[in-house]
Amino acid sequence: MNVQAREAPAPPGFLPWAPELTGEAGPPPEPRAPRGRPGAALYLPLRLAWRQLRAEKARLASAIAGVMFACVLVFMQLGFRSALFDSATALLASFRADVFLMHPMTQVSFKPEMLPRVRASQALALPEVQATVPVYLAQATWRNPESGARRAVQLVGFDVEAGVMDFPGLAPLIETLKRPDTMVFDRRSRPEFGPVPKLLAERGPFEVQVANRQMEVVGLIEIGPSFGADGNVVMSETNFRRLVKERQVSQVDLIAIRLVPGADREAAVARLRQVLPPDVTVLGGPDLVKHERDYWESATPIGFIFMFGSIMGLIVGMVIVYQILFSDIASHLKEYATLKAMGYSNFYLGRAVLSAAFILALLGFLPGFALSTFLYDVVGKSTFLPLAMDAPRALAVFGMIFTMCGLAGLLAMRKLRDANPADMF
Amino acid sequence: MDGHASAVRPAPVEIRGLGYAYGEGELRRPVLRDIDLTIRPGEIVLLTGPSGSGKTTLLTLIGALRAMQEGSCRVLGQELMGASEAQRVQLRRQIGFIFQQHNLLGFLTAQQNVAMAIELDPRTTEAGRLERATAMLAAVGLGDRGASLPSELSGGQRQRVAVARALAGEPGLILADEPTAALDRQSGGEVVRLLRELAKRRGVPILLVTHDPRILDLADRIVSMEDGRIVPTKQAEGVPAA
Repeated sequence: MNVQAREAPAPPGFLPWAPELTGEAGPPPEPRAPRGRPGAALYLPLRLAWRQLRAEKARLASAIAGVMFACVLVFMQLGFRSALFDSATALLASFRADVFLMHPMTQVSFKPEMLPRVRASQALALPEVQATVPVYLAQATWRNPESGARRAVQLVGFDVEAGVMDFPGLAPLIETLKRPDTMVFDRRSRPEFGPVPKLLAERGPFEVQVANRQMEVVGLIEIGPSFGADGNVVMSETNFRRLVKERQVSQVDLIAIRLVPGADREAAVARLRQVLPPDVTVLGGPDLVKHERDYWESATPIGFIFMFGSIMGLIVGMVIVYQILFSDIASHLKEYATLKAMGYSNFYLGRAVLSAAFILALLGFLPGFALSTFLYDVVGKSTFLPLAMDAPRALAVFGMIFTMCGLAGLLAMRKLRDANPADMF
Repeated sequence: MDGHASAVRPAPVEIRGLGYAYGEGELRRPVLRDIDLTIRPGEIVLLTGPSGSGKTTLLTLIGALRAMQEGSCRVLGQELMGASEAQRVQLRRQIGFIFQQHNLLGFLTAQQNVAMAIELDPRTTEAGRLERATAMLAAVGLGDRGASLPSELSGGQRQRVAVARALAGEPGLILADEPTAALDRQSGGEVVRLLRELAKRRGVPILLVTHDPRILDLADRIVSMEDGRIVPTKQAEGVPAA
């Protein structure tokens, strides 16, 4: 069989030294069509990158450690940031009210400006308002029942019968809280306040000195400490007044409003703004939480500090990945140039470098994620901050790590230009 | 690409009036002047000359590794004067390169290194590539070393892997630059003889730059260069015509 390669191409199985093709000088091969399975264009560079990474175990390990480090740093920073915001707003978020009134100067709930209690009665003028509950907030000194050490605690006083507050564990204690000098304690308060849950379980209700007054702890609720308050104590309005004597009844810190079922909150907020004098700010429930959050985010450097920490972590990680990829290219310049001489394009090799970056992103993220989950648990237990791993955050951090590695890959790719096949000879 | 009509097969390499210079303006330094060179199908051409005579530059121009400046250079049917980067990259896939150093990828086995030469061909499958790589390695006498890393092979064996890699892609032309320079006398001779034998069997032309007088007898034709020009030489003796 005499092969007419140009008319009828040889079957693909033909080896070039098959007898049919040897014996005489054959024609140059047909130019190849640059088409192919689209997957191969991504898979083959990826495989090349993986084989190269795998070959240098120590370098791979240090790259993974670098990405993992960045990953853990970002997870911790974001975790703290969100724990701060979550805990700072935990108290407000647990109010079951629809609308709130507060003084326009109040920036944050633990440092409230007072507003006239009479606004609560005025708000009742609107038909859509079902109930209004004045809330008193103050900080006072708590004396640790065991050691006697003093620490500031957040006091929350309100009409416990109004059913506005929704702290877990509060409902069965409402009757008891009507007794003089009683209060309930936030079981998630920091341990410096003393082993209150343990004592309560051992002796039943017991006395604790708060603001130089003997108060009886009658039960436990759950709120959680915040950056503004290490612990919380909830009591009836009357008991609050007995404890904080200098406080005038007519001055409250916050007014919670419950609307009649089915009322439009936005419309009610707008009407309350019309009706009430300008010495109160009217906020919907979620807006109050947001107001509180904005304070921590913008009025304090705390939010910025955590963002800054995250960005620094990402930059350090990017530099490490860049270094690894760069030195991988630099030490293989001749090989890369050879590949270019063999017909590998810059684009193909660029894909290999990016693939290496993304492999590092994945290999660094997985242990980083596991370590961060573990650290959230450990740190959450010791700081009593609500640190929890959730899917959106994991995805966000993965996105950041992926971007970080991608940028490092793009930077390192520039080194490929130095692999010039013309210099190979 | 005009081979359809023509009864005579076109020359794989056809160079007319090629010139090349490094630098610009005052610093412009011509290295190649008015080069005419034709390599016929299946021909083995040795390019010799003192260093600085421009032979390496000529090789990189033919290999589409460098952009042309002047004249015409037709390689495997592709005019390189004014060819785009993409066209040159495409052409390189049809050329087998053998370098002074083996330049094998250290993290790939011999078999994987050879398969890299055909990985860009979208018609091949992974199994087909590895099979062809193994067969190529067998052809250079390394059939049992496919799983070895380059660091586990001797210098001569590595250069033989490089020969297998250059030939695996069924190139239409092989360009070699001092392939024996890094090897001792015996393994250098083996590698070049092997290269010659495999190329002859496939009818692939070779352009080989060398200083090595021991391998001059392999050539069908010896082209000498001096000061950027081709100077007349005698036909290699004792070598049967292709």
